[in-house]
Amino acid sequence: MGWKRGWRRKLTFLFMPCVSSCFSAAEEEQQAQSKKGLKKQQKEAEKAAKKAEKQAKVAAEQQSAEEDDFAKDRYGVSALVQSQQKLDRTLVRVQDLTPEKADQLIWLRARVHTSRAKGKQCFLVLRQQQFNVQALVAVGDRASKQMVKFAANITKESIVDVEAMVRKVEQKIESCTQQDVELHVEKIFVISQAEARLPLQLEDAVRPDGEGEEEGRATVNQDTRLDNRVIDLRTTTSQAVFRLQSGVCQLFRDTLTKKGFVEIQTPKIISAASEGGANVFTVSYFKTSAYLAQSPQLYKQMCICADFDKVFCVGPVFRAEDSNTHRHLTEFVGLDIEMAFNYHYHEVIESITDTMVQIFKGLRDNFQTEIQTVNKQFPSEPFKFLEPTLRLEYTEGVAMLREAGVEMGDEDDLSTPNEKLLGRLVKEKYDTDFYVLDKYPLAVRPFYTMPDPHNPKYSNSYDMFMRGEEILSGAQRVHDAQLLTERAQHHQIDLEKIKSYIDSFRYGAPPHAGGGIGLERVCMLYLGLHNVRQTSMFPRDPKRLTP
Amino acid sequence: MPMYQVKPVCGVDIKVDLPTCMYKLPNVHAQQGNSCSSEHALQNGEVDPAVKALEARQDEILRKLYELKAAVEGLAKTVTTPDADLDLTVSSSLSSQSSTAVFTGTTDLDALLGKDLGALRDIVINANPAQPPLTLLVLHRLLCQRYRVLSTVHVHSSVSSVPPQLLSCLGPRHPDSHSRHMFQLGFTLIWKDVPKLQMKFSVRNMCPIDGEANVARFLFKLLAPYPSDPALATLVDSWVDAAFFQLAQGSSEERAAALRDLGSALGRSAWLSGPDLSLADVACYCCVLQSGSAPSAPASVRRWIKSCENLGCFSHAKTLLL
Repeated sequence: MGWKRGWRRKLTFLFMPCVSSCFSAAEEEQQAQSKKGLKKQQKEAEKAAKKAEKQAKVAAEQQSAEEDDFAKDRYGVSALVQSQQKLDRTLVRVQDLTPEKADQLIWLRARVHTSRAKGKQCFLVLRQQQFNVQALVAVGDRASKQMVKFAANITKESIVDVEAMVRKVEQKIESCTQQDVELHVEKIFVISQAEARLPLQLEDAVRPDGEGEEEGRATVNQDTRLDNRVIDLRTTTSQAVFRLQSGVCQLFRDTLTKKGFVEIQTPKIISAASEGGANVFTVSYFKTSAYLAQSPQLYKQMCICADFDKVFCVGPVFRAEDSNTHRHLTEFVGLDIEMAFNYHYHEVIESITDTMVQIFKGLRDNFQTEIQTVNKQFPSEPFKFLEPTLRLEYTEGVAMLREAGVEMGDEDDLSTPNEKLLGRLVKEKYDTDFYVLDKYPLAVRPFYTMPDPHNPKYSNSYDMFMRGEEILSGAQRVHDAQLLTERAQHHQIDLEKIKSYIDSFRYGAPPHAGGGIGLERVCMLYLGLHNVRQTSMFPRDPKRLTP
Repeated sequence: MPMYQVKPVCGVDIKVDLPTCMYKLPNVHAQQGNSCSSEHALQNGEVDPAVKALEARQDEILRKLYELKAAVEGLAKTVTTPDADLDLTVSSSLSSQSSTAVFTGTTDLDALLGKDLGALRDIVINANPAQPPLTLLVLHRLLCQRYRVLSTVHVHSSVSSVPPQLLSCLGPRHPDSHSRHMFQLGFTLIWKDVPKLQMKFSVRNMCPIDGEANVARFLFKLLAPYPSDPALATLVDSWVDAAFFQLAQGSSEERAAALRDLGSALGRSAWLSGPDLSLADVACYCCVLQSGSAPSAPASVRRWIKSCENLGCFSHAKTLLL
């Protein structure tokens, strides 16, 4: 209102000189003033009249509202739950709302997924993790108009407590997971209100990319998701992915414990870089500096020398690799295995591949709902594998690649595109997404890899691949201090830095082998996703440190 | 006028041997007329013709020897099999002791399967556990007698579980199976949910082979070449087709008719085609066994079944059916 009046004043200022030019000075002014004054008064009177009208209307509405609101105490925003009282109320889970509960009055707590008003009714979709159900607030003897209006205005993602009657529906509600029932709301209270403007919409976050482009609807890009991870994790797809990841970890532990493995915890702050000097994070450690462990390699082996025989370890791994690729993170969860064997390192390969196969079987048999949920947004081929796992030798892999037209030397390492091509060739011939490539050339492996006894060009080392991407790199370790020193010298490594490592083999060490996998990468490849950040809850890479 | 005069430091007439040739290379052109004196192979990979002739003569002699041997063995079988009351353990030990293959004849893996690229040549067979391919298992046994074969059995993720006898159907694990490159041939059997049996060998050069009959023909050709006489070869093929289409998959009338044909053919000779065991016999035996019509077959067929079983390679297929 303020600027409007000011505008009029300014305009009259402009007009004043024009008007006054027509008449004599004083007369002009007086006449002008009276005219203006009249105009002004008229306009102000009009405004006042309009305002009075509006106020009267509002008052009338409010009055009528207050008059008719018999349901005043059946809805509203609850006081902040500060544990004022301990109610013995049972809250029913949305996934348990089935026709068996029909005609029961129940309480539940869920999020408002959507709310839509239609005349005298308001349709709400209430969501709890992967499950949602339709709820109806209708003007009647239990709900008033004001209550319906309140329900329609509840912001999305708010947490509400609802008391409702469960009713069967004749027509299935296709858009919800609970398709046979509907809730008729009698009481609705907001426990925690969400802000009106959400940084991203959950329907957009679950929409498959192709569909978004075709129908012109929005999808959410990865950076927005990662910046607002709390909301993005609420989507059905994210819930499914991380439940599956939890399953992988659990199956890993269970399978190995059944095989007699012991779980160990290794230190992450170490004094010397284990894999190589370049990709390691330095931390300040009192007066000196220390490093964050790149892998639990050294400590796994020391445990074997300490007679633990079969160990595994689940913990974070820190690699300061400045690679911004779809499959690299600076911090990830490593699942590492180390095992002493009797006569041949293939005993260890069989053990590791059997563990992987048990994990795949467990996922195939117990997590189908999660896999289907992820496939709705990210369609992919189901994961195939053989039992026992296929094991090819490096020379066979090279022969297959050469047959396909790739030129490479016998002792060359496999580049990433060659690995992917080999994965496709193996898939075509054997129809498996998981296989082991054995007997890598010695030249491309680290210094602690045991050389092949019959052919010095090759080593007792192996890599395992899922969907053509490497997930595990392992080998038989050199367990003789003398040979280890020779190999280290051959690789021009400073012996002083690895003195304690070599010392651990001086007092009797059994022959052993092992390997490690990345949890996020295994999940990503099992589900056929394309970016490891989708399987890492709060990913860390060279460009991201928060949330 | 020279500024300084220096006495010569070295003698004036020292002969210096300057080379006239910058690089020496061996002669890359083949020497046309000196075949007798050249020790290494000529440039095109051709072998010296005299050596070739010698090899050919040796092959010929060996072949004649093998044929004689096979003929004698065949006679021995026909003599012993009609009253086969041999204890099964004795006959199996006999067959295992005889390291000579049932099939002889010169076949070269390199010629058949392509040049050896330094890696194991792996034959991959995808079979449905509901219909185990008995013919292929018999042929596998025969292959193992002839070559060093690395056999592995896998279960694909499309099948949830498989009875234990199907897992051990290729026999016990070879003690050297950790070194794949020491074997000439790989035989990988994958139990998978497939509608029809399928074989894959060289994904680049070969399309997959469908159907047990066709895979059996492929594997048989690794053991011995098909008979060169086209009539005999067609006879073998027609018996193989009869076995798979009529005996195994046909209706009861077709099966009865096929059994009658078998009976009449076996009444005339000990084996179905030619003087010796052939693919036709292998195929028919396995299909008769699978269709369960062995007890109701004519006498000549039953005699022939007994003589097949006396050969060690068939006994295993029978145990699989139980």
